[in-house]
Amino acid sequence: MQRTLGVAPRTEDYNRANLMDRAFLDELRQVVGEHGLLQDPLELLTYECDALPHLRESPAAVVLPASASQVQGVVRLCARHGVPFVPRGHGTGLSGGALPVAGGVVIALSRLNRVLDVDIPNQRVTVEPGVTNLEITRQVAPFGFYYAPDPSSQQVCSIGGNVAENSGGAHCLKYGFTVHHVLEVEAVLPDGEIVHFGSTFADTPGPDLLGLLVGSEGTIAIATRITVRILRRPETVQTLLAAFATIDAGGAVVSDIIAAGIIPAAVEMMDALAIRAAEAAVHPNFPDADTVLIVELDGPAAEVTALFDTVVDTCRRHGATTIDVAQTDDHRARIWRGRKAAFAAMGRVSPNYYVQDGVVPRTRLPEVLNRIRTLEQRSGLRIGNVFHAGDGNLHPLICYDERVPGDPEKAVQVAAEILSYCIEAGGSLTGEHGIGADKSSYMPTMFTEDDLAVMQRVRAAFDPKGLCNPGKVFPTPRLCGEVPGPHRAHPVEAAGLAERW
Amino acid sequence: MVAGQELKQVPDTPAEMAEMLRRASEQKLSVVLRGAGTKLDWGRPSPRVDATLSTRGLYRLIAHQHGDLTATIEAGASLRDVNVALSLHGQWLPLDPSFASEATIGGILATNDSGPLRHRYGTPRDLVIGTEIATADGVLAKSGGQVVKNVAGYDLSKLLAGSFGSLAVIVNATFKLSPLPAASRTLVAAARDAEELAGFVREVMASQLEPIAFEIHVPSFALMLRFASVPAAVDAQAHAAAMMLGATKIFQGDAERALWSQHNERVWTGTGAVVRASWLPANVAAAIGELKSCAATSGVIEIEMLGRATVGSGLVRINGEAKAQARVVEQLRRSASFGNVVLRRGSPELKSLVDVWDGSAERQPLFASLKRALDPQGVLNPGRGPI
Repeated sequence: MQRTLGVAPRTEDYNRANLMDRAFLDELRQVVGEHGLLQDPLELLTYECDALPHLRESPAAVVLPASASQVQGVVRLCARHGVPFVPRGHGTGLSGGALPVAGGVVIALSRLNRVLDVDIPNQRVTVEPGVTNLEITRQVAPFGFYYAPDPSSQQVCSIGGNVAENSGGAHCLKYGFTVHHVLEVEAVLPDGEIVHFGSTFADTPGPDLLGLLVGSEGTIAIATRITVRILRRPETVQTLLAAFATIDAGGAVVSDIIAAGIIPAAVEMMDALAIRAAEAAVHPNFPDADTVLIVELDGPAAEVTALFDTVVDTCRRHGATTIDVAQTDDHRARIWRGRKAAFAAMGRVSPNYYVQDGVVPRTRLPEVLNRIRTLEQRSGLRIGNVFHAGDGNLHPLICYDERVPGDPEKAVQVAAEILSYCIEAGGSLTGEHGIGADKSSYMPTMFTEDDLAVMQRVRAAFDPKGLCNPGKVFPTPRLCGEVPGPHRAHPVEAAGLAERW
Repeated sequence: MVAGQELKQVPDTPAEMAEMLRRASEQKLSVVLRGAGTKLDWGRPSPRVDATLSTRGLYRLIAHQHGDLTATIEAGASLRDVNVALSLHGQWLPLDPSFASEATIGGILATNDSGPLRHRYGTPRDLVIGTEIATADGVLAKSGGQVVKNVAGYDLSKLLAGSFGSLAVIVNATFKLSPLPAASRTLVAAARDAEELAGFVREVMASQLEPIAFEIHVPSFALMLRFASVPAAVDAQAHAAAMMLGATKIFQGDAERALWSQHNERVWTGTGAVVRASWLPANVAAAIGELKSCAATSGVIEIEMLGRATVGSGLVRINGEAKAQARVVEQLRRSASFGNVVLRRGSPELKSLVDVWDGSAERQPLFASLKRALDPQGVLNPGRGPI
């Protein structure tokens, strides 16, 4: 199943595609048009994986519907013929949530990219799922508004993907996740019916189907139209970057800030390796320290001014070696550039890396980070740590060299061990990347058989035939080669056609 | 449990709760779930009740992880007791639903009921981060977790929010908490009419004021803004709002607390039917106009409405004969200015004239399918709706 990079798809894949019922393909073509159906193995290459490139599979076909009714037509056909289908946004997911199913259809929603309504008086925007996260903010920025969830990939990730994954970002400690900002979703159910989750008006009667849909990783419906609420830009934003000699000192600052009754807009931490990588990549002028902490407060001027003093004092009290307060918007942007580039920057200090996103209760952060450092020494693999300290969401970046025999496997083991620390501390396998295909086998470490069985009952209520993004979220017997694993270049990247940033 | 004779059961443990449900499913009994009983009359009347299952044996605050701003609470605990306990560490579960002094955590979550604080903090579904539920066939199952940020698996706690106990029993729930604000001020402005009130709403929404509650009341055309933060910030914001809205009154301390408890109770202490209804925030003048038209043509004695200005959600009290009340409910449902018009409190006569629930038929097959998945024997709150 796993393919060597740069090598053309195996003949079995072609055969499988060829085996797909010709009549079915003709029907698909009738729904999406000649240009909306991709079957050429070279064209399919792009769709073999998302941003978790070590898991890949060739679909039998990719369709590019241009309207909700085309999505509906495709899903109806799949349902009638019993063909599995996988929805896909812009392919930036980090958990293999858009991994194709062999012999199945990928429904790529990139052509559904229209902004349908910008309603400033009612503070909401309606878009199709292929619109990028940042585009929503671009639409409303001239009016002084923004869309709050801001995953690091916001320039390229699709809002449909955000809905599927319940994306967060750096500011969710104060502002919540996608689920807190979506008002209504029109979606195609696995049987092809179009249903509205939520409604134009508040308080749709009945169980919160919208809340279930957001974060269900494309396993219960395909969003075709999404209404989100937008927020007024806060009056004031204050950001500081403080350096510490130990991660414990940084963690103590975070605890004291929370204990003082302050909910910062963002609290981010980076360790020495992550700092060095960011510095090499985008030169944010971070101090050479063991730990840096970024704290951002926003809101009414009088509130931010009063609380920011408390934050600065707290940093001093815990021995901050430097405190850099952003004096201008450019200065703030530079600090955030260093933080947001941290993943991609790992490429500057390591040939390969593997990222996880486990969560621990905030108070257990220092303990878990120390365990990770011990593991780093024991395993011999360097581990950079970038994390949303406010909500305990870790992003350990495990460095390895795939040319070294045994290294990739070791990286997988290290990642698994880190996730086990998170679960032992009462946390979660994933804070924002999703379970997808990557971590489905770990689900039994967090949930009992009964827990998972009840979730599966809910899934089957939407998708009794099991055709909608099968193999994701819930553990299934593993197929050969389908193991969680480290970062590898996307085939397009390897071919020199695109660069990860 | 024996069919044909209503029993009241008060299980003391989640396992006992699950076992009672399993037996009820086996015997195909019709079971009504009960917390404090404050909202038992919400929903359609139950056609048959074999047994009542109370959550009041499950009343503990299981954990208050104050450093993590989370708490895990059993379903039968009252919100008021919980907030007293949480205040020891300067925190609270910022919900102010109907009957807040008695209502239980399980009932509040199952009805997803909320009040003015929703403006800042959202509804229970926005604050819940995990639940343990007992399905009708007696399985105890967790979803979500103890951490605020978590996307592992389906979030069934959201599915339970608004289910009115028709899918499963909430055994306990974990919530994200907030720090108790250091200071609070409430500003009340009185508009002359609907147009002026709508203008006030527009101005506040376009401003950078950050109230934690933003309410309107009709027919007084009053607007209420509550600010809560550090003392300097609440003063500055209340002052800025007063400059913007002209003649206003600012409340604090006991007077402010009294103002809010009177506001939260006024619809329920008044006479008549109560419906929950939603409107688009920019369309508030037209919505008020519709109410006026209802009052003029239906033959009711009075109509009162209060609610969240920015969310566009509130309660409408309709005082008068059942037939006249029914005409108002029907007119609101036909109106383009209102949506999701659900009867909360109503006489049996009114409930026989109009359906309690409102909403599109397209979701019904999904509701039915979910009901079959989690409560195959149909024992939980049958007939009450919305499922």
